[in-house]
Amino acid sequence: MSDIPLFKVTIDNISIEVPAGTTVLNAARMIGGEVAPPAMCYYSKLEGSGGKCRTCLVEVSKGSEKDPRPMPKLVASCRTTVMDGMEVKNITSAKVVDARASIVEFLLLNHPLDCPICDQAGECHLQDLSYEHGKEGTRYEFQRRTFKKHDLGKYIQLHMTRCILCYRCVFTADQLTKKRAHGILDRGDHSEIATFIEKNLDSDFIGNVIDVCPVGALTDKTFRFKNRVWFLKPMDAHRDCPTCSGKVTLWNRGDEVFRVTARKDQWGEVEDWICNDCRFEKKKTSDWVIEGPRLIDRHSVIAQGHYAGTVGMHKPTETFSAVHHGRQPKLLMDIHSVSEVNQADIDLSIIAGPAHSNNFNSNKD
Amino acid sequence: MAKATQLNTMGRKLLLEKADVEGIRFYDVYRREGGYRSVEKALKTMSPEEIVEEVKKSGLRGRGGAGFPAGMKWSFIAKPEGVPRHLVCNADESEPGTFKDRYLMEFIPHLLIEGLIVASYALGSHATYIYIRGEYAWIPEILEQAIAEAKANGFLGKNILGTGFDCEIYVQRGAGAYICGEETALIESLEGKRGNPRIKPPFPAIKGAWGRPTVVNNVETLAAVVPIINEGGDEYAKIGVGKSTGTKLISACGNINKPGVYEIDMTISVEEFIFSDEYCGGIANGKRLKACIPGGSSVPILPANLLLKTAKGETRYMNYESLSDGGFATGSMMGSGGFIVLDEDQCVVRNTYSLARFYRHESCGQCSPCREGTGWMEKLLLRLEKGEGKISDIDLLWDIQSKIEGNTICPLGDAASWPVAAAIRHFRDEFEWHVTHAAEAQKRNYGLAHYADPIHVPA
Repeated sequence: MSDIPLFKVTIDNISIEVPAGTTVLNAARMIGGEVAPPAMCYYSKLEGSGGKCRTCLVEVSKGSEKDPRPMPKLVASCRTTVMDGMEVKNITSAKVVDARASIVEFLLLNHPLDCPICDQAGECHLQDLSYEHGKEGTRYEFQRRTFKKHDLGKYIQLHMTRCILCYRCVFTADQLTKKRAHGILDRGDHSEIATFIEKNLDSDFIGNVIDVCPVGALTDKTFRFKNRVWFLKPMDAHRDCPTCSGKVTLWNRGDEVFRVTARKDQWGEVEDWICNDCRFEKKKTSDWVIEGPRLIDRHSVIAQGHYAGTVGMHKPTETFSAVHHGRQPKLLMDIHSVSEVNQADIDLSIIAGPAHSNNFNSNKD
Repeated sequence: MAKATQLNTMGRKLLLEKADVEGIRFYDVYRREGGYRSVEKALKTMSPEEIVEEVKKSGLRGRGGAGFPAGMKWSFIAKPEGVPRHLVCNADESEPGTFKDRYLMEFIPHLLIEGLIVASYALGSHATYIYIRGEYAWIPEILEQAIAEAKANGFLGKNILGTGFDCEIYVQRGAGAYICGEETALIESLEGKRGNPRIKPPFPAIKGAWGRPTVVNNVETLAAVVPIINEGGDEYAKIGVGKSTGTKLISACGNINKPGVYEIDMTISVEEFIFSDEYCGGIANGKRLKACIPGGSSVPILPANLLLKTAKGETRYMNYESLSDGGFATGSMMGSGGFIVLDEDQCVVRNTYSLARFYRHESCGQCSPCREGTGWMEKLLLRLEKGEGKISDIDLLWDIQSKIEGNTICPLGDAASWPVAAAIRHFRDEFEWHVTHAAEAQKRNYGLAHYADPIHVPA
C-alpha cells in the first residue's frame, strides 16, 4: 500500500493528500461537507458505475503541477482521477453551480414528482438534490413521459416514470447475481428498465437494486404503501444468515417490522449487501438480534419522528375554518368511492397518529 | 482567383481517380490499375514506425468529422507486451447528409482494404474490423468479396507477401444506431454490448476493444493512406492548403443540380463548389441559395452571405480552416463533408426541427443532459414550426442547447446543440416570424429575406 504515491489536490480551496488513482469525488468526500459533489449514478461499491448523471460535474481550474492548464470542459468528478497539484472548483465555481442546476432541471423534466405517494420520499436522493440544487419552478410545458408497466415479480416494484437511468441496478445485477435478468431496453428518452420478456427478478441478491436505486423507481413490494419512512424507527440488527452478512437495518413501528434494508453510510451507500431472504422474508422482530437504534443524520426527515411520544406529540389545530372566516370545509369526493387502498370504515385523515398497516386493505397484488 | 486555382489543381484526384474504370470493384481490374502497390511498398520496404511517420508528414486529418491528425492518433497507441492491438474501421456513416464512405465502399472496396492492410501493419493489428452501418445492408457482401479476393491473392491472411505479417479483416454490421459511429460506442457494439459511449479517459488507444489498445479510423481516412504511401507523405502534404492537406470527399446534397460525391483538393471556394458545373452545378430549379450546412447535420448552419464570404469579407474556401473561420459566431466546420444546400424555399425552423428530431431519436439515453434536453428541444421546435410557439421559446431553446453542450459524455450532445444554436444565431428573424406571423407561417415560408445580403465589413 505504501508504494502508492500521495497526490495533493485542492478542492474548493481545501487541500488534501490522497493516494494516486483516487477520483476527485472520493477526494472531496474525504474532505466532506458541501465540498463533496452530489452523485446520483456513481456508487463506490459498483464497478463501472458513474459518469452518467452529470450531477457531480466540477471545474478543474488547474490540471496538475506538471501541466497546469485548466480542463476545457466541466468533468464528471466520479470518473476523473486526481493528479498531483490539481485544483478543483465545486461550489466555488459559478459554472458548476449553474450546470448542476440545469442537470437537476433535466432530471426532473420528465419526473412525475409524485413524492406524496412515493415510497422513496424521505430517503430519495433526487428529492434532496432538487431541494439543494434545483430551481422552484419548471420551464417544461409538455406532457411527461410514461411507460408501459412491467411486473418484476413479488419482491420488486418498478415505477419507470421515476427512473433517472443511473444504471446502478444493472451493475448490481451484473456484479451480485449469477445472471442478470433485467436491463435497459430502447434508447434515448424512451429507454427503460425492463426484462425483455416479462420475467420475475428473484435471484438471491437482486433485492439490493432497491437499496441502490437513488429514486423511487425500484421499491420494496413487501413494504409498498405500508408506511412513511419517517414514521419508522430504524434499528441496527443482525441474524445468522447462511447467504449474506445478515447485518441489516430494521424499520420498525412498535413491534412490527415494516421493512428490512441494508445499512447505509453517510453517502447513502450500503455497507453490506444483504440477501433476499433477510430483506423480504424475515419480518418478525424475533428473527433478529437488535443491536440498537441506527444513527440517522439529524438533517434527515427520518430523524424527525424519533422523539414522538417522549417529547410529547402536539396535534396541530384545524386551520381551514380559521382562514376561511369560519366556513367549514366541503367534502368534494369520498376517497372510498374511487379507492380501495384503505378499509371503507377508516378515514386516514382522522385516525390518531400515522397510518398503520392494519388501516389498509391487505395486499391483493 | 478562383479560376486560377481551378487551372492549377483541378482534377487532382487521389481516391476517386479510378472510380469510373469498368470493373474497378473487382480485384483483377483494381490490381491492373496499380492497386495494392502500397501494400507491397509498405510491407516489403518500410517499418511500421516509418509508415506512421509518413502519415504524420502527410498532415492527414481524420475524415470522420473531428479532423484530428491521423498520424498523431496512430502514435498514441499503447504497445504493452503480449497484448494484441486492433485497428477498427469506422464505416458507421450515419451523419445526415454524409454518404461519401458508402460511395468508396460500394465502388472501390479494394481501396479501403488496401488502406486497412497498410494501417494494420503500421499499428500491429492482426485482427482488423470494419464496423459498418446496419442500414448499408448490401455493402458487407461487397466488402467480404473484396476481402476474399485479397486473401486469395496473398494480401491477407497468414504471412502476407512472404513478409511474415499476418492480418485478417472482419466485417461487423451495426444494428442501425447513429450513436455507434462514436468510437467508444462503436467498440462497445463491436464487443456485442449495448452501444453506449464509454467515459473517457481511458481512450481507445490505451483501452479499446476488449480492453486492448485500439485505433478507430474513418473509411476515407484509411483509404487516404494508400496515396500517402504510394506518393510519400511530403507529396501528399503539397496538395491542399495549410493544415488542410490532401483531398477530401464531399457528399453534396439538397437543392443543387448535381448531388453526388466529389473529391476536392481543398483549394476551391465554396461559391465555386456550389455553382460550377464541375461540382454541384448551381441551385436547382433556378432558385437562390439561402443557407448551407457544410459538414454534415451536426455542424452549424450558415446563411448564404456568411457561407460564401467570411465575416472579414474574404472568400470562404472548402477547407478545414476557412470553413471554421470566425468560430461558431460566424463560421462553421468541415465536419464529415456532408454538404447540405438549402434554397430560398426551405424553412430553417422546419429544418432545425427535423434535425432535433433526429438527435432525440438517436441519443443513447445514458447521460441526462442529452437524454432529456434533446427531447425538450424537439418539442419546442415542433411547437414553433406549427405556429404555436412563444417568443420566449426561442430564448429557452438557446438556454437548453447551452446547457447540453459540453456537459455530456460524448459529442452527440454537442452535435445536437450546435445546429439549434446556429439556426437561432443566424435565423432568429425567421423563428420570430413563426411566432409573430403564426398563421401565415403555416401557409408559406419565410423565404430568402436578407440572408444573402452582403455583410457589412467594418473597415
